[in-house]
Amino acid sequence: MPWVPRVARFMESSDMPVSSIIIRSLTKQYANLTALNSFDLEVEQGSIFGLLGPNGAGKTTLIRILTTLMRQSSGEVFIEGLDTRTNGLKIRSMIGVVSQENSLDRYLTARENLVLHARLHGMEKSLYNRRIDELLELMGLSDRQKDFPDTYSGGMQRRLVVARALVHKPQLLFLDEPTTGLDPQSRRAVWEYIRSLSGSMTIFLTTHYLEEAEQLCDRVAIMDHGRLIALGSSQELKDRLSGETVYDIELERDVEHYSSLLGSMPCVSNIRRIDNKIQVSLEHWECLSEIVTALNGAPIRRITLKERTLEDVFISLTGSGVRG
Amino acid sequence: MIMHGSMAIWLRDMQVLRRAIFSELVAVVAYPLTIYLAFGIGMQSYIGTVEGSPYSLFIAPGLITMTAVNAAYNESVWSLWFHRRVQFTVESYRVTPISVSEIVIAKIITGFTHGIIKGSVVGLVIFAITPFRFPLEHLFYYLLFLIPGSALFSCAGVISGTIMDKPETIGKVEAVVVMPLIFMSGLFFPLSSYPENIIPWVRAVPTTALFEGARRGLVFGEMSPVHVFQVSISAVVLFIASVLIFRRKMSE
Ligand SMILES: Nc1ncnc2c1ncn2[C@@H]1O[C@H](COP(=O)(O)OP(=O)(O)O)[C@@H](O)[C@H]1O
Ligand SMILES: [Mg+2]
Repeated sequence: MPWVPRVARFMESSDMPVSSIIIRSLTKQYANLTALNSFDLEVEQGSIFGLLGPNGAGKTTLIRILTTLMRQSSGEVFIEGLDTRTNGLKIRSMIGVVSQENSLDRYLTARENLVLHARLHGMEKSLYNRRIDELLELMGLSDRQKDFPDTYSGGMQRRLVVARALVHKPQLLFLDEPTTGLDPQSRRAVWEYIRSLSGSMTIFLTTHYLEEAEQLCDRVAIMDHGRLIALGSSQELKDRLSGETVYDIELERDVEHYSSLLGSMPCVSNIRRIDNKIQVSLEHWECLSEIVTALNGAPIRRITLKERTLEDVFISLTGSGVRG
Repeated sequence: MIMHGSMAIWLRDMQVLRRAIFSELVAVVAYPLTIYLAFGIGMQSYIGTVEGSPYSLFIAPGLITMTAVNAAYNESVWSLWFHRRVQFTVESYRVTPISVSEIVIAKIITGFTHGIIKGSVVGLVIFAITPFRFPLEHLFYYLLFLIPGSALFSCAGVISGTIMDKPETIGKVEAVVVMPLIFMSGLFFPLSSYPENIIPWVRAVPTTALFEGARRGLVFGEMSPVHVFQVSISAVVLFIASVLIFRRKMSE
């Protein structure tokens, strides 16, 4: 009986959601570079969790520790209650991993790639053949199963890697930047497949695309320089931005005049001019009526409320856009 | 199932070998056969006999052994490097419930299998074109060397392929270490050609024991337990070393 952390036991016995992954003050040191710095995180069972961060933030390092490929310098990680340092084999039998590089075997056909993986998981032939048929069908690769991965497009290769990670029906799926380098259409296709798995297993993915985290994930953690800097649903993270609301006001002409008029109003906290657009930040949404009054008679084309994105959250947290 | 991981990886390697077996064998046979024809037959009348046997017979066992150990070494070194550094397949094996040792053991067995298969084929070809015949028990003595010899070189290949990250380094080590070791082990000339005072040193090298012992076994039916022991113990030591080195590399 492996030692189960107290938190996990407590959670299992209550109505609270159960954590698939528990990370406690995890630190990883490479020579003199701290890739992970006292990282704490819990991921709920059955959810899609997104770890968002720019290149070099430490995402791959974290996934490598979670999937038992690498040892931490200090701190602890529990996967389904099992310590990654002492339960490698057991943990690996219940996780599926899509690594950042494709790692397909180009000397084996697509199907043979899946068969090899099933054998490594000790599956019986009768069991894996049916499962592989199913997965090839699900990923839309059935009629190309006898081809070598070299002849596949980037998106198809990625789907094959996802299929490979699913052969043994894992309880947890780790995906390290699953759509990096794909064109928008293939990216959407991969999102579709990932979404179709939701609920049947815990999914932990890393990305440096804000849109991906926003579209796909129930909860998002933002990290940079090895530290966790924000955590919540993408809505919660957006709500955490200051109370300001931003409107875009597009004018036919006289942009100069109206922008200096609005700029002089006390409830406008910030103003920017972009071509024939004026972007105003308001202290409260109630200020909007004052603005509308001031604009009486102006040649307005449209007024739009600017939707805030995770990008804005990212910029407000890190002071810069997403690198790379 | 014990070692199911090694089994799965070895089966994968054999599947890939089977697919390209014909072209692989043609390439592998061409080199020793050329040497055999050029030196063994072409130079035969100039060299005559060496240690009492015709030159073509003298070099035949060495050519078979050379093919086998070279094939074992090459397969292991390139396979390890390619799967680690190019394809990242080792990484994909490592996220399944098998141990790191199972991966390296599979690769050692694959290199060994390449050595035995390719050595046997060259042996058969040389046997087919040469008039010399020997009793079956000589073959048995010969195998007592070929088997640990192929294992030894497969392990050496695995170690090189684990340590070296650049293909240039692998090529250099082969030119500077592996080929000289094979050629200076008495493949083409008797050890008595060496100066008196360095012969003991040459004899201490396991490859010398391998080539010398293998030839004596096949040509004269002589059994030399010391040589067999020397090759086998080196194979065991390198086996343990390769498993440890690979495990260490993987935990970096
Ligand atoms: N094996 C390693 N040795 C030394 N430094 C490393 C190693 N792997 C990653 N790093 C460094 O650790 C930091 C985090 O890398 P990584 O986890 O790959 O980030 P991400 O996946 O978010 O791009 C980077 O600065 C990277 O250069
Ligand atoms: Mg990464």
